[in-house]
Amino acid sequence: MTTLNPTAPQLALPAAMPARGGRRPDLLRWLVLGLTALAVLTPLALIVYQSVLDAPFFMPDKALSLDAYRFVFDDLDFWSALRNSLVIASGMLLISVPLGAVLAFATARTDLPGRRWLEPWLLTPVFVSPMVLGFGYVVAAGPVGFYSNWWQGWFGGVPWNPYSLPGIAVIAGLTHVPHVYLYCSSALRNLGSDVEEAARVAGAGPLRVARDVSLPMVMPSLLFAAVLVFFLGFEVFGLPLVLGDPEGHLVLTTYLYKLTNKLGIPSYHLMAVVAVLIILVTVPLVLLQRRLLRNAKRFVAVKGKASRHQVLPLGPWRWAAFGLVMLWLFVTVFVPLSGIVLRAFVSQWGEGVTWWQALTLDNFSGLFEQDNLVRAMVNSFAVGVLGGAAAVFCYTALGLAGHRRHDWGVKLSDYLVLVPRAVPGLLAGLAFLWVFLFVPGLKEFKNSMFCIWLAYTVVWLAYGMRLIQGALLQVGPELEEAARSVGASRARTSRDVTLPLIRHGLLASWLLVFMIFEREYSTGVYLLSPGTEVVGSLLVSLWATGAVEQVAALSVVNVLMVGAGLALALRFGVKLHD
Amino acid sequence: MTKLIVEDLHLAYDGVKVLEGVSFQLRAGEVVSLLGASGSGKTTLLRAVAGLEQPDRGRILLDGHTLYDAAAGVNRPVESRSLGLVFQSYALWPHRTVAENVGYGLKLRSVPRAEREQRVEKALAQLGLAHLARRYPYQLSGGQQQRVAIARALVYNPPVILLDEPLSNLDAKLREEARAWLRELIIQLNLSALCVTHDQTEAMAMSDRILLLRNGRIEQEGTPAELYGAPRTLYAAEFMGSNNRLSAEVLSVDGEQVLLGGKDWRLLGRALDWLRVGDPAQAVVRLERLRVTDAPGPNRIQAQLSTAMYLGDRWEYLFHQRDLRFRAFGQTPLTAGHDYWIEFPQQDCWVFPEPVAA
Repeated sequence: MTTLNPTAPQLALPAAMPARGGRRPDLLRWLVLGLTALAVLTPLALIVYQSVLDAPFFMPDKALSLDAYRFVFDDLDFWSALRNSLVIASGMLLISVPLGAVLAFATARTDLPGRRWLEPWLLTPVFVSPMVLGFGYVVAAGPVGFYSNWWQGWFGGVPWNPYSLPGIAVIAGLTHVPHVYLYCSSALRNLGSDVEEAARVAGAGPLRVARDVSLPMVMPSLLFAAVLVFFLGFEVFGLPLVLGDPEGHLVLTTYLYKLTNKLGIPSYHLMAVVAVLIILVTVPLVLLQRRLLRNAKRFVAVKGKASRHQVLPLGPWRWAAFGLVMLWLFVTVFVPLSGIVLRAFVSQWGEGVTWWQALTLDNFSGLFEQDNLVRAMVNSFAVGVLGGAAAVFCYTALGLAGHRRHDWGVKLSDYLVLVPRAVPGLLAGLAFLWVFLFVPGLKEFKNSMFCIWLAYTVVWLAYGMRLIQGALLQVGPELEEAARSVGASRARTSRDVTLPLIRHGLLASWLLVFMIFEREYSTGVYLLSPGTEVVGSLLVSLWATGAVEQVAALSVVNVLMVGAGLALALRFGVKLHD
Repeated sequence: MTKLIVEDLHLAYDGVKVLEGVSFQLRAGEVVSLLGASGSGKTTLLRAVAGLEQPDRGRILLDGHTLYDAAAGVNRPVESRSLGLVFQSYALWPHRTVAENVGYGLKLRSVPRAEREQRVEKALAQLGLAHLARRYPYQLSGGQQQRVAIARALVYNPPVILLDEPLSNLDAKLREEARAWLRELIIQLNLSALCVTHDQTEAMAMSDRILLLRNGRIEQEGTPAELYGAPRTLYAAEFMGSNNRLSAEVLSVDGEQVLLGGKDWRLLGRALDWLRVGDPAQAVVRLERLRVTDAPGPNRIQAQLSTAMYLGDRWEYLFHQRDLRFRAFGQTPLTAGHDYWIEFPQQDCWVFPEPVAA
């Protein structure tokens, strides 16, 4: 061996590199943070501002006042909506937390039959629009629904009523099981099986292991999921809109939605008040969740070694567990989806109608005869594919702005990401409508897809950031430090090392964001205008007009779009959660 | 010529002090090891030199240029320090081939493609990796990955190369070979290197000088022979080698010579620190210095052999004598349960005052 390149002069230090290379990329970073702050805080500020005016903000004779608050607090409907929201949120908590925990334990830690192929099915309710699910329950289990009719034919009466308040709460609870399942199962997966094996060796049966070891060890995640479900209970819109209508059960979001018609004039100030009140409920819950998450991280130190995974044999219990999973799947996924598909293929439905006589394809061909429906499908697809890519780009930019930094900029972006979590899509859409009406120069964009895309991107900011940060966390810090040490600036390191390493994660995020954007319905409700229809939101307005056939067919199209994304994701082995 | 100067470096994470005033120099063509237990701050010190950690106080100079100076507010970013850093995990970029990994530093320095390829080729050839240039890191063995990591850090001729536990990821067997190989490479290329390790044998084999770190300070600095043969503190004496430690009382002091007393034994030892008669003291004796004999004699303690363990190249004995317990090496199998007389050579029986309880 001889000297490594002896002729090359030793690199003279100052000449080789610019002494401080970090100026420009930092500028870019602050630009990203600033734009995020603008996009997140402007709509929120506008809602708060509007809530203390006595008239819509664009009226010339508006004044600061608390009249709107007084009006809402005097309205009996508001109090009943608040009570209903509380009942539904509590019901969801009671149903989805235990069920989600059991399902997670069964699929993640035991030899449940078919646990591999079950997982995507367990998650379907997350990816199907609640509007579609709600509608599915109406046509499947409503007073004249398919299943109700068949049941009645056999037993002479129907024991369920999806239109009652408990009915809505049960359905909302069942459809939110996956949210608990997600957090609980990923925590259980991170738990080393050695801690369970230790309990087994000491003489505990599978159920005792679950009760005494596994579940207590994932308690922080379970608590986190419980808080999540509870505040989602205040945000549900599609289900109570569809199911609560026949018996007149209002919740906070549907109360807000119906306020538009209440006074006959645009009652923006009243809507803003309700929006502020909803946010006042959700913000503390989001902050509580954040606190719990920080505690959960402290638990990491005591988890077992996650290197090896040994499943727990359930013995005869495995078929009981399998039965429970299938029952849940049947009620939560199969019943509404089969209902909607059946309804989409029949011309009419009611007592005395046999479905093979009413079988038709007209509902689908009808979709292509109306311009707004065709546009909605095209727009939905575009906002999912192109908008999804653009959103992932934005999330990545923000993710990199906070990557491996520990200054107040990172703290700022953490809180910015939290804000949209506390603002339900319906309110966010409303707020963006106002932003585009209010801010000079933005009015031309009000009736464009840009407006819808921006609202979607902000509403799903927290979800997207979790995907991106999950991918970024996979990159070992020393891989980036190695690049820095051989002479690459921060920006160069991001370009040459970080981004290439997370490219699969970015593609996966794109697919997941596509599905979420296809599913989205509440954000676009106030942003629909001729030319900017999207399927999810159009379902809401079509439902109001009573066009059941169109709603059914369009729902099937919506489910198919999401399903295509899901199939693609499964084909490429995208992890549906972390 | 002095390459690297570190002066009074302080560093704390969230109020926890990791470095508390470390100063040292690295001369051209010298290998210095930072040795210490986990939590001693050795890796943090290396990362601070590399620019990956920001100290709170002190100065770092390389070839007379300031890399970091708290007082002057200078903190050169990592990428412009132009040091070579070899990571413990090697940190090879999985999405780049071996040649691309090695050539990246040259690409950043805008070296023309032809020259770049030539230099990469040459560097790989020197480390015996020429045939692996097109491979990806996951296709390499641990030893090959380590050499790629070294080639990547050397290819742009950094003035100083920093090695973070360079051998710890290798199998025990491979580690000894790699140690010799790395030492040879450093000498042949006349590199100036700063190397972090927790393994005292590795530190002694690899380096010209060792800095023993403890709780963010330098406990002792010197050549491997000085550290092993003439420790200045109890901690340094115990950290190096395998040792027996005896607690005793100082009975008399005569210059360097001390008489220690236990329950029913007396030993003459060598004082390596100030001792006072009547104070409790600690004696440290390296295992290989003890001599096992069959008869009484000066500076010998009678003890019963508890067990003898065969280690291949020698035997290790475990002796008990009331509350004393010590180990020794020897070449012959001895009978467990028998009594022997173990000689503690006076010069090798280092005596330190009992450390003040923290």
